Amino acid sequence: MAPAAAKSRAAEMRKTIAAAMARAKREIPHYYLAETIPLAAASDWLTAFNAGRPVTERVLMAALLLKAVAVAARRFPEISGFYRDGAYAPAVHVGVAISLRGGGLIAPAIHDTAERDLPDLMRALSDLVQRARAGSLRSSELSDPTLTVTNLGEQGSDEVFGVIYPPQVALVGFGRIGEQVIADHGAIRVVPAVRVSLSADHRVSDGHRGAQFLTRLRALLQDPETLAKAGT
Amino acid sequence: MTTDNLRSAVLAELARIAPEVDTEALEPATPLRDQVDLDSMDWLNFIIALHTRLKVDIPEADYARLVTLNDVIGYLGGKLKA
Repeated sequence: MAPAAAKSRAAEMRKTIAAAMARAKREIPHYYLAETIPLAAASDWLTAFNAGRPVTERVLMAALLLKAVAVAARRFPEISGFYRDGAYAPAVHVGVAISLRGGGLIAPAIHDTAERDLPDLMRALSDLVQRARAGSLRSSELSDPTLTVTNLGEQGSDEVFGVIYPPQVALVGFGRIGEQVIADHGAIRVVPAVRVSLSADHRVSDGHRGAQFLTRLRALLQDPETLAKAGT
Repeated sequence: MTTDNLRSAVLAELARIAPEVDTEALEPATPLRDQVDLDSMDWLNFIIALHTRLKVDIPEADYARLVTLNDVIGYLGGKLKA
């Protein structure tokens, strides 16, 4: 892309993001929760899983986190759906926040995230990131997300509290995965862990249900082998 | 393959993943990911690209050894000789 065209595209995108986020902060009564999730089991399992796979079929932790969010969301209809014209309609299509080189952000959906097995979900994620950056997303991918996941990754911050993208009613944010000191049955252990946050909409849910959602997310990630299977 | 050719191959694949980077300006002994914005997906795509281009197997367990550009070139050079 010519520099001028890229610059104007970035400016357009900034305007779009600003409009959506300003609307979110104006209309959505956000509440925020956070939880530390130990990932020792998940990361050991993933290392062993990837060791037996060719490089082109390796799976990232990001895919396992997405799967966990989608599976957890099925039990919490008030976390995933659309709030429009005073009415709420639940659904589960997880959106993935993808940062674009040169600035900006887009959060298209991976359809049926919860039903896919892990390698299939990884392929879908990889394909989605590639197409998002190439500007070739389908319109349904842009309009369908009902719950966005943002993952700041290895170069990111410890935690992130996101702004909900209307008409969605929640956003799950993962910070950087790293070693953390965790108190476990009276002992202190150092394990890989992640800070996960939930930003959710008080018009549809409250902190009690939000906390249950995060607890469920944490539990799912302690059994990665089961989580990785299709239709978990 | 000479070290210069190997360096060009690595930089060409890096430039495909991070087109905004001036690869000539990269410091070879400074951690690559301090100089180039590569998330875990970009990194995986970089490894896949090197694997496809050079027919070198790069196990995940070896990622920790691939910190700087010099590390990457040295590692791949060793694999190609082996």
